[in-house]
Amino acid sequence: MNKINRLMCFLVIIGTTLLLSGCWSKTELTDLAIVAAFGIDKNEEGRYVGTLQIINPGNVAGGMQGGGGSQGPPVSVITGTGDSIVELSRMTSRKLSRRLYYAHTNLVIIGEELAKEESISDILDSLERDAEFRSTAIVVIAQGSKASDMVKVLTAIDKIPANKVIKTLKFTERTWGENISVNMQEAIQTLVSPGKELVVSGFRVSGDVNKGKKTVNMQQTEPSSSLYAGGLAIFKKGKLTQWIDGEAARGSVFLLDKINASAIAVKWEGKDEAIVYELIRQKTKISAKMEKGKPHVFIKVQAEGNIGETRVPTDLTNPHVLLKIEKEVEKEIKKEITIAVKQAQKNKADIFGIGDTLHRTNPKEWKKMSNKWNDVYFPEVTTDIVVDAFIRRTGLRNNPHQVNK
Amino acid sequence: MEKAKISLYQLFVLILLFELGSAILVPLAIDAKQDAWMSILFGMVGGLFLFWVNYRLFLYYPELVPPEYMQKLLGKIVGTFLAFSYIIFFMYTAARVLRDFGEMLLTFAYLETPLFIVNALLILVIIYAVSKGIEVVARTGELFFVSIYFLAITGFILIVFSGLIDLNNLKPILEEGIFPIARVVFTQSLYVPFGESIVFSMIFPYVTKRKGAKKVGLFAIGLSGINLAITMAINIGVLGVDLTARSQFPLLSTIQSIQVAEFLERLDVFFMISTVICIFFKVSIYFYVALAGTAVLFKIKNPSSLTYPMGMVILFMSVTIASSYAEHLKEGLQFVTHFLHPFFFVVTPLLLLGIAFFKNRKKSIHQ
Amino acid sequence: MTMSLFSLSKKVKKLKMHKKQAQQHDQPSKALPSSLQDQINYIKEKTGNSTDVIIRRLQLGDGRGPDTAVVFVEGIADSKAINDFLIESIMNKHPVESKQPIFETLFKEVVALGDVKEITDWDNLYLSLMSGESIILVDGVQKAISASTRGGEQRSVQEPSSQLTVRGPRDGFTESIRTNTALIRRRIQNPDLWLENMKIGSVTKTDVSIMYIKGIAKDEIIEEVRNRLKRIEIDSILESGYIEQLIEDTAFTTFPTLYHTERPDMVAGNLLEGRVAIIVNGTPFVLIAPAVFIQFFQSVEDYYGRADIATALRFLRILIFFISIIAPAAYIAVTTFHQEMIPTQLLVAIAAQRESVPFPALVEALIMEVSFEILREAGVRMPRAVGSAISIVGALVIGQAAVQAGIVSPAMVIIVAITAIANFATPAFAVAISARLIRFGFMFAAATFGFYGIILGVIILAVHLCSLRSFGVPYLTPMAPFIPANLGDTIVRLPLWAQKKRPRLFTDNKENRVGDNQKPQPPKSRGMVNSAIEKGDHDEQN
Repeated sequence: MNKINRLMCFLVIIGTTLLLSGCWSKTELTDLAIVAAFGIDKNEEGRYVGTLQIINPGNVAGGMQGGGGSQGPPVSVITGTGDSIVELSRMTSRKLSRRLYYAHTNLVIIGEELAKEESISDILDSLERDAEFRSTAIVVIAQGSKASDMVKVLTAIDKIPANKVIKTLKFTERTWGENISVNMQEAIQTLVSPGKELVVSGFRVSGDVNKGKKTVNMQQTEPSSSLYAGGLAIFKKGKLTQWIDGEAARGSVFLLDKINASAIAVKWEGKDEAIVYELIRQKTKISAKMEKGKPHVFIKVQAEGNIGETRVPTDLTNPHVLLKIEKEVEKEIKKEITIAVKQAQKNKADIFGIGDTLHRTNPKEWKKMSNKWNDVYFPEVTTDIVVDAFIRRTGLRNNPHQVNK
Repeated sequence: MEKAKISLYQLFVLILLFELGSAILVPLAIDAKQDAWMSILFGMVGGLFLFWVNYRLFLYYPELVPPEYMQKLLGKIVGTFLAFSYIIFFMYTAARVLRDFGEMLLTFAYLETPLFIVNALLILVIIYAVSKGIEVVARTGELFFVSIYFLAITGFILIVFSGLIDLNNLKPILEEGIFPIARVVFTQSLYVPFGESIVFSMIFPYVTKRKGAKKVGLFAIGLSGINLAITMAINIGVLGVDLTARSQFPLLSTIQSIQVAEFLERLDVFFMISTVICIFFKVSIYFYVALAGTAVLFKIKNPSSLTYPMGMVILFMSVTIASSYAEHLKEGLQFVTHFLHPFFFVVTPLLLLGIAFFKNRKKSIHQ
Repeated sequence: MTMSLFSLSKKVKKLKMHKKQAQQHDQPSKALPSSLQDQINYIKEKTGNSTDVIIRRLQLGDGRGPDTAVVFVEGIADSKAINDFLIESIMNKHPVESKQPIFETLFKEVVALGDVKEITDWDNLYLSLMSGESIILVDGVQKAISASTRGGEQRSVQEPSSQLTVRGPRDGFTESIRTNTALIRRRIQNPDLWLENMKIGSVTKTDVSIMYIKGIAKDEIIEEVRNRLKRIEIDSILESGYIEQLIEDTAFTTFPTLYHTERPDMVAGNLLEGRVAIIVNGTPFVLIAPAVFIQFFQSVEDYYGRADIATALRFLRILIFFISIIAPAAYIAVTTFHQEMIPTQLLVAIAAQRESVPFPALVEALIMEVSFEILREAGVRMPRAVGSAISIVGALVIGQAAVQAGIVSPAMVIIVAITAIANFATPAFAVAISARLIRFGFMFAAATFGFYGIILGVIILAVHLCSLRSFGVPYLTPMAPFIPANLGDTIVRLPLWAQKKRPRLFTDNKENRVGDNQKPQPPKSRGMVNSAIEKGDHDEQN
């Protein structure tokens, strides 16, 4: 009897708690506004303006219900203004019939002006603190435009523009190597570290943003307005100080050891960019030590790749020729890295984490330097760059067809 | 004392789950910065010693549970009082662990749910389990042990494969010398979780093969120490010292950063699942030990009738001990580890062992 | 055994119905009267002149002997045997030729049947009569002879309709206890296979047998089974399920703590592991005790096929069990609490489907699950001819139509379908049906607390399973308590040559089941050794 009573008691308590609880944290899928991208700007009054790209599920998933045809845009955009990020986010509820849902926000776009004016740490705090927001969201800077413009442009192949930005970054990082994708967690890790400064990719809008907002933009072979990856934004103490592009950018990515693949053109037999070297993989090692009270850095790059293109007759079957080409490639990589280092030193921003390296190897000296690292010590760092490039294969053909002429 | 039998393997599983319990959640020994893993290992060594002390005490009185031999060693009144304070302390700790858990759940998944409800649900399940007796708890432990380890190993592999670990984050080793580590060991990692193994002196009498209990216990504590050290090293490797220290639940942040093959990401739920299971065992064991102690101390014939009232006490305590999570943590780090833990985990067992040693030596001389 | 029956019958007299009867016919409970007419009258009175109770009066020998009567119940007795071996030999026998008293003569010389017993009291007489034996009464003798003529129409041995296998014997138990025991005995031809019989049910007097292998089965467990069966006080046993409900360890559980099967090979296999079989007359379902959880995920075929494949299948079955319990709950949890779990693209797809569905996820799931349960229940009871109609209607209800009507989303249809198929795939019906019920509990838990609810449910389920025992053996043996030596036949199935020990908790028998070096090996000469070809090597060169 006693046992049954206890069981009943248990069931009653469980039952009532379940019923009374009324499902607090429950949200039906149809009550959610899935935010794909979050753009942050600052307006003239100095308040934050948040632009949210909200997925319109019915128009993305396509097919099944209603059946294709003249659909609305896959995303809609909503704007909120506030003195803080949380305020602007909550304020948008006045314009929206659903609850904002940030767990699938994979992209944070920060306006260039905002990034220049104040430290982005202030913005990232609320995002990092929020339980829904993923720390794996990618951070980009709207280069030359407002973040809100970037959020508004519709894209054709990837229906959700946020995905387009993220994937573009990912693939260009893998195949060209002038950009890197940095997520929020990495950004914050770098921001708090005294021995490393933040570097983030920029994104640009081309064409007329107002045309880009319309679904017509998606239905053109050549969109009136589109998004593309820009340069690398260099930060110092959380503020955007400089954009770097081209060789300096790739050199930086080399130093950050984030290049997967790239194409490097070298001079050959007097002709500029005559041979293109396709980088497949590389490894960069940075080590630092103190020499006569000054930090000295060794940079060792190992690169592996193939020949992708030749525009002058060359005997590629000859290993000695390949060795010579390797030398040229090494020179080119070294040049890019040197440019990157110079650039960073000029900006007085240690984006490569040399300070961190020093911290690991010489903790005691580092303690003395850490306060003035970027301004005093980093610009004086001397470097030793060693590049080892290997050409493994030359593709499906050995010699170029010009060689027999 | 109920009539229960616990095999060595079950003891092993219980100790391991208990030690991992809440310790795996929080930034354990993070005051030692990148050397946290080291201070965990040192804490483990201390924990092994404390376990040995408790085991020796058990060997002096293999048929008795701590409340009984406390009375024998210290006299009826003092012994009863001490045993009672232990019971209160265990219940308080159970409430603290429950609170930790509730806070964790509320912080990352169930923001709008009241703490009371979340805790109440878990404590009801625990009451159900504890009222079935230690044997059932032990068997349930065996059942979940494999799955927990499976999840843990899967998680480990995923973290490794997503290339998140940056071992450079663990350097420089011993930046400030050994002193800060030692300080952390003696203020934190020695007690939580390793000193907590004192609760198993209440469970020793159930073990079938007593001779193996020492070996198994030491092994379990050693393994849990290594596991915790690895976990903490991975946390720091992935998040860096600063982020680990600022995270309320570093393991959660680590798991959230996993991104493998486009779809193996957002694995928070698996973190939650394993956490619920670990906490379930930790609270259950604390609760059971408090319950069994009460039953022995006050000679209650049917201890399972106490599960509901005592469970409710733990539940209300867990909700009321602190008004915010920060206060709760502060209490834990300042008051509990500075005063309660040294007293209950180190001083008293050593004292008891000393007395037992002298008393039993005299006895043998008289004989 | 008879002692217990007496005590039983005494207790049963407390029952009202029986009391009335006892008052109406004030029969002496024990001794038989000497007059044949009295004896016959008593029987007629007791059986209410039932027309199937045949009383054939004869004279022994060719009219010179004393009056005798053969009593039997038509239909359950083998009338051919009665005619050939009883009536004919009684009529042809010359009692004068024998020097013994008449009764002894009948007993020893006349009745040409195997199992013959002497009966001195009414209780035993009725028991024998009603179980199909023939009673021979002789005028002037206060005793009766019962001859075993059990028979009559029975279902023949057929392939069992549940627990089908692709490979394995095709015979299944029938409703006759004797056939069933025979089917088992044919498989274990060993005198150590012991059989105990008892009658349970104060009104039905059903034959119940315990079967075990002496020396393998644990004595305590046999004793426990015996005691629990003896404890039963009930008017009727119509199926082994009656017994199961009365002797299981825990009443409040949805999980079966006794195994039932229609397959003799399965029973034989279990007996060899040290379990005890309980065979009940009138049903082809034989109970096996003690049962452990993992047993319900094993099929006899696992042992006939290859070990590696059996292991893979067992993993699949465990997975199936979890799917059938948790799939709808997980769907609810994911769509209402943990939307962050699924990849964005999938979330968007599900969200698009859910846009047109007016109900919360729980209601959506309940609609589908309940309607599926309705269909299934309808399908089970329907005559076969209607079955196809049901499946057509069912496909419409749970399918495109429901989706187009905007009641459920396509994802939900997939979930329900997977759950249903998973449920059908669970090998033991008893566990499958339990999973069906538990599933709804999990759905509610998921709807109120998401995965937290689910995991709490899983813990409760685990604690519950761990607290169950079957005849004293923990239900989750050998996983919890963990017995490494017996893990060879759980989720994994090791090859037969590697499974040397019997399950430890069912048996004290420590002998190895298989000999050493039973692992098949190729002839030694093969491999890298270049030597003469040996025997057993069938190469082309030979």
